Amino acid sequence: MNRHLCVWLFRHPSLKGYYQCHIHLHSQQFRRTHLDTKMWLFRQNSNYILHSVFSKNWSRRYCYRDTRLLWKHKALHKYMEDLNKEYQKLDQCLQHISVNEGDRRSLNQRYAKLAPLTVIYQEIQEAEQAIEELESMCKSLNKQDEKQLQELALEERQTINEKINMLYNELFQSLVPKEKYDKNDVILEVTSGRTTGGDICQQFTQEIFDMYQNYSCYKHWNFELLNYTPADYGGLHHAAARISGNNVYKHLKYEGGIHRVQRIPEVGLSSRMQRIHTGTMSVIVLPQPDEIDVKVDPKDLRVDTFRARGAGGQHVNTTDSAVRLVHIPTGLVVECQQERSQIKNKEIALRVLRAKLYQQIVEKDKCQQQSVRKLQVGTRAQSERIRTYNFTQDRVTDHRIAYEVRDIKEFLCGEKALDQLIQRLLQSADEEAMAELLDENLKSAK
Amino acid sequence: MKRWGRMLWALLSGPGRKGGTQGWAFSSWPPHSPLAGLVSATELVSHWTAVFEERGIPEARESSEYIVAHVLGAKTFQSLRPALRIQPLTPQQVQCIQELSSYRLQRMPVQYILGEWDFQGLSLKMAPPVFIPRPETEELVDWVLEEVAQRPCAADTQGSPLILEVGCGSGAIALSLLSQLPQSRVIAVDKGEAAICLTHENAQRLQLQDRIRIVPLDVTLERSWEHLSPWGPVDLVVSNPPYVFHQDMEQLAPEICSYEDPMALDGGKEGMDIIFHILALAPQLLKDFGSIFLEVDPRHPGLVGSWLRSRPDLHLNLRAVRGDFCGR
Repeated sequence: MNRHLCVWLFRHPSLKGYYQCHIHLHSQQFRRTHLDTKMWLFRQNSNYILHSVFSKNWSRRYCYRDTRLLWKHKALHKYMEDLNKEYQKLDQCLQHISVNEGDRRSLNQRYAKLAPLTVIYQEIQEAEQAIEELESMCKSLNKQDEKQLQELALEERQTINEKINMLYNELFQSLVPKEKYDKNDVILEVTSGRTTGGDICQQFTQEIFDMYQNYSCYKHWNFELLNYTPADYGGLHHAAARISGNNVYKHLKYEGGIHRVQRIPEVGLSSRMQRIHTGTMSVIVLPQPDEIDVKVDPKDLRVDTFRARGAGGQHVNTTDSAVRLVHIPTGLVVECQQERSQIKNKEIALRVLRAKLYQQIVEKDKCQQQSVRKLQVGTRAQSERIRTYNFTQDRVTDHRIAYEVRDIKEFLCGEKALDQLIQRLLQSADEEAMAELLDENLKSAK
Repeated sequence: MKRWGRMLWALLSGPGRKGGTQGWAFSSWPPHSPLAGLVSATELVSHWTAVFEERGIPEARESSEYIVAHVLGAKTFQSLRPALRIQPLTPQQVQCIQELSSYRLQRMPVQYILGEWDFQGLSLKMAPPVFIPRPETEELVDWVLEEVAQRPCAADTQGSPLILEVGCGSGAIALSLLSQLPQSRVIAVDKGEAAICLTHENAQRLQLQDRIRIVPLDVTLERSWEHLSPWGPVDLVVSNPPYVFHQDMEQLAPEICSYEDPMALDGGKEGMDIIFHILALAPQLLKDFGSIFLEVDPRHPGLVGSWLRSRPDLHLNLRAVRGDFCGR
């Protein structure tokens, strides 16, 4: 279990020093320690400035040692060794002419995949060796007369350490299994929950939708409204938008789920009595497929338009350009009336329909993965409660990584505060995936 | 309330407005109308929907939504930024909506009221009496695009088809083809001066004027094709010719018969008058293996087929007939 800690560790260089102590203290208490320290660290991170001052002294002393500890860590080391061996074997295999064409191609693919990993691995090894040499040199140096040289050695060690950290980061990035849909655009849907009292759900839904709109702007993504159904008395029932840009699904995939709100309604009896209400809204994030990913047979579609009634063509002049598509095999229904041009509305509706069909495929895929891997963040169904926005305490809590942010207003602006949380989620998902990978490797070796 | 009344009066008594409309405006004004205070777009839409419904205007809700959205700078109410829907409007905006809605009460088509409409994703200027393109015609364009994509043989003229559009109206078909076929060129003809001007203007707006040649021409005149021959034979002929049966013309909605040019609709006794002329032009203008795409009435394909068999000299075959999105 120790490796969970270690893997996690090198992503936070500034925390390392302190963390190091921690490991020594708790390294025997396996899984629980893992989780606890993690939570503890997240809290520490929110006190970033204070902590970095605090940890400066520590990191000086422990910096290289803890990377080495990590390096010596069994699972990762073994995993890399295995890969290295496989790489060399492949290298030999490919030099033989006897390999047939089909095999050669798959071998080549694997070879190309492993090549950059082994390069990084080798560089790390070399750097490690350099450090060791430096260290032994330091030891042999006499304190009084070779102070200058000692300082030089220290400096050198620092730069090598930085390089090693960078290499580890790189290694980590290339080892973490890539998610298939990360680069895709998304369709984001928000739906307000059933109100138990007051109109807090609708109001909250609107605030969340605005938050994602602002976040898209913050990320320089394109935000295209597909559907917007406001509630009768303010707030929002349901809305959908298409968000396109750089790695949109990667960033938004962990936003899907139930968001809970706790606040005192602004009007009504509860408002006067200062009673706190709890409400919910749900966010669905669908990766937007490429044209090729999902084929929709025109025969499976029923297109409903306003013009279907009565005469057509030049005989009538109607302006209602709304289109409703019904996908007969699945019964999925999509509507669009965003555009004045009917054919454009049909295009948009078809795009949404594709995304929905695609989502079904993705879910199926995920189900299969889920049975193998059980990630804390990654594979939560979109129907689970993921976050609570407590207005009375002015606090947002993400339940998956026990992350807390103060200042809801700032958070709902959809800028830095939200982005930080999303980055954390991505990080922990990566770490879980990595730990899982190493775990599997260990198991299979036994 | 009084201020409102006055404003309205000034507006409606302006030049060119019929006296008759004053009456309704006052009577339809409920005493506690939300318009008395600051109003939002949503409230204004409901208000005008109610007024239109009361006056029997078709598509009451759609009309008021389009008008309000237009004044607020959006194309549809659905695409209006959520914040703008609940924000109070300025008196100028309310007044503008008022004015546009009064046109609607006179059954003016929404497209003319807004002065623009979308066709195949292009925003085109619309002005009476030039024919307003219908959504069915968007499909005709799609069909043409499909066929062009499938026929590399059309690419022998410097890699680009030369297309003739007969009866271009606002230029919708010609310009949407040009925008999607970056190598193509179009000759657009129409006999109406208003249509020629509007096509010119729309081509300028979309920066497509370099690849379109707009020619005032009446295809029903003897030897009219001679005016087109200098540009050589074309690969494709596209047209949405007038095809309404003459007897049906009276049954058209007031939006159509009192605002749109009947010349763009009336196809004669069997709705075929202009269709015949276009088909007869084919031998002079069309390249070998060229195609003609026409939007016609559901009763027409049979008539076209039998007429073509009676004119083997035209060397034309009816290749395919497609229903529109409504199955017609």
